[in-house]
Amino acid sequence: MKRKYLYTALIAVSTFILVQSCSKSGGSDKPTDPVVNGFDRKTMLTNISTNIIIPSYTAYQGAVVNLDAAVTAFNTAPDATKLTALQAAFKTAYQLWQSASEFDFGPAEQANLRVNTNTYPTDVNQITSNISSGTYNPALLANLSAKGLPAMDYLLFGTGTDNNAILLQYTTDAQAAKRKTYLATLSTELKTNITTVLTAWNGGYKTTFINADGTDTGSSVGLLINQLVYDYEILKNYEVGIPAGVQSMGTTFPTKVQAYYSKISAQLASLHLQAVQNLYLGKSAQGDGSGLDDYLVQAKAKYTDGSSLNDVIKAQFATATTKVQALTDPLSVQITTNTSVVTAAYTELQKLTVLLKTDLPSSLGVLITFGDNDGD
Amino acid sequence: MKKNFTKLCLLSAIALSAASCSKDNKTDDAVPVYTVPTTYNFTNANFADATTRLGMLVEIQNVEKVATTGQVNSASAKNMFTNTGAPFVTAAYNTSGIQVKDQGVALYQTDVPRFIDSLTAVSQTGKVASRGVAGVGTSSANAATKYALTANGMNYAQVFNKASMGGLITYQIVNTMAAVNAGTIDNTTVTNGSTALEHAWDIAFGYWGVPIDFPTNKTGAKFWGSYSTQVDSGYHANTILMNAFLKGRAAISAKDKNTIQSQATIILQTMEKLTGAAALQEVKEVKESINDNIARNSRLSECYGFVYSLKYNPKKTITDAQIDTILALFPKNFYDLTLDQLNAIRDAVSKQYGFDAVKDIL
Repeated sequence: MKRKYLYTALIAVSTFILVQSCSKSGGSDKPTDPVVNGFDRKTMLTNISTNIIIPSYTAYQGAVVNLDAAVTAFNTAPDATKLTALQAAFKTAYQLWQSASEFDFGPAEQANLRVNTNTYPTDVNQITSNISSGTYNPALLANLSAKGLPAMDYLLFGTGTDNNAILLQYTTDAQAAKRKTYLATLSTELKTNITTVLTAWNGGYKTTFINADGTDTGSSVGLLINQLVYDYEILKNYEVGIPAGVQSMGTTFPTKVQAYYSKISAQLASLHLQAVQNLYLGKSAQGDGSGLDDYLVQAKAKYTDGSSLNDVIKAQFATATTKVQALTDPLSVQITTNTSVVTAAYTELQKLTVLLKTDLPSSLGVLITFGDNDGD
Repeated sequence: MKKNFTKLCLLSAIALSAASCSKDNKTDDAVPVYTVPTTYNFTNANFADATTRLGMLVEIQNVEKVATTGQVNSASAKNMFTNTGAPFVTAAYNTSGIQVKDQGVALYQTDVPRFIDSLTAVSQTGKVASRGVAGVGTSSANAATKYALTANGMNYAQVFNKASMGGLITYQIVNTMAAVNAGTIDNTTVTNGSTALEHAWDIAFGYWGVPIDFPTNKTGAKFWGSYSTQVDSGYHANTILMNAFLKGRAAISAKDKNTIQSQATIILQTMEKLTGAAALQEVKEVKESINDNIARNSRLSECYGFVYSLKYNPKKTITDAQIDTILALFPKNFYDLTLDQLNAIRDAVSKQYGFDAVKDIL
């Protein structure tokens, strides 16, 4: 009798506990509803895709179409005028790329757009070898350092000490014909890649993007924040930090800057930072729409000192922008002659990294899923 | 009496709460009453032999690391493998009377000397690594990071590491868990303070390579202890394994056979799945160094090593033919890797282990 009573009690207790211990997954307090605290993520995703991503891709794609046409014109009858026009078309494309590099998910990830477009420093040996052998397989990852805008940067600005010398590489040089072919291959590849990505966005992907309005790992907010941070770290590390020697105990690597040969590195870094800020703010030619700033405000996100996280981030964007705008071209020269200005910019960029990579995602329940690429 | 009854209820509640999420939870007439601790601090636990063998592996790794700066002393590495001629820096290993080799699966025993020879040959070329040239290469992202690669881009130091995680560690853990399930290990006779089953379980835990208060404390976690953390964002192996090791060990001392077997099964299955997750983690790392030929090849070698190491698992669900099919997705020369190939490797592993939803974040 007593024994039976004990078992009944035991079962009752264990059932209660069973229910308790298995119910965790149901009562999640993560903001998985599209509207949380009055913030509509769908509106933000619509603004960002319609007014920022697609226009950025469209502008860059147009510039690359022009670039490819300029290559064709130049290759047909290379002369100084066409070289200058080609160089101008190249710079425009590189400038517009700064606003198009942040969205390496979905179609861009499929096309591996970022690394196919902008892997630097470029590998001159690999380029030379590809030109002389006449064989080039764009699918080989080993060719990432011999293609894209950085390879064209070298081919158009780095193959001679001035434009007269460069022109000879495409006219009288023994490899001139092969060099022209390689140049055309690269600009066509750039065009194909961005056209594929833009077509996908103009097709079904925009809807996919807007509808994935949760905050979990595969959601658009998750992808967007991860790529914003990833791309921002490229700016901080590869455009500024590593060339200035911050990862090599002061040993500088001036030739590792973005756009080393065309000498527009500082200008591009400013444009890039502006693009990251615009994405954060949801700001475009259509005005200041719904962005991550509004999301943080609605979520009442606080910085560690209790102030508004959005205010802190905006202030740090302003500070970093001032320092990055103090960089001058050629950045490779400034790194050598006035390193402290460059490292000062890096320092402010680094402060912004912590805000974007730690405070922002944790306030919004988003997980940063890429690792620190520091080798092992 | 009432006090005693309350105590009993509380105790059983703790035991039950720990076991309440497993599907095969039955209200057996003889449910033993015991507490599952939150750390592996069982008074009679002893896994020193496993810790020693992991330490031996680390010493072999140290010998292999020389490959990026000079010539590997292959005789020393092989002697460490068999514990011959007092080869270890840690004197206690030399006199331990135990070795790595005889605890590994047969294929691993013959693979390791081969891997050491391949790495040694690379270290002897004195050349800079490039496609078709064996030698030492430098990461383009970090000049301080160097790897010894074969002419095909394979880093045999990493292949050895991953092979050891499969051929020694997983093999030992899985074998133990299979024996636990078969009921062939004695849990009655106490020798040196514990039963054979308790000791075998402890050794398996020791091979995992984590501190006893893992995952709260991750200090010193190595081999699978390190990788279970690295994949934790997509596959929560840390908690799965720790809970199973704790619950199973408590169940062993309490002679709770059903729980012992259910936990052994969890551990057995998790070790294989974890290997798949680790291979995917390496795919992700390959992508993070995608334009760095040298680092990318080394990371691809890690991925290759993990996939290959599945062969060593005596209770694997994947077949040898399926493993060979995945290995065939790797390019013959790692310098020739394409993104499509890499994604094909990722998708094949992910499909095999049901990681499609998390394949890019592991």
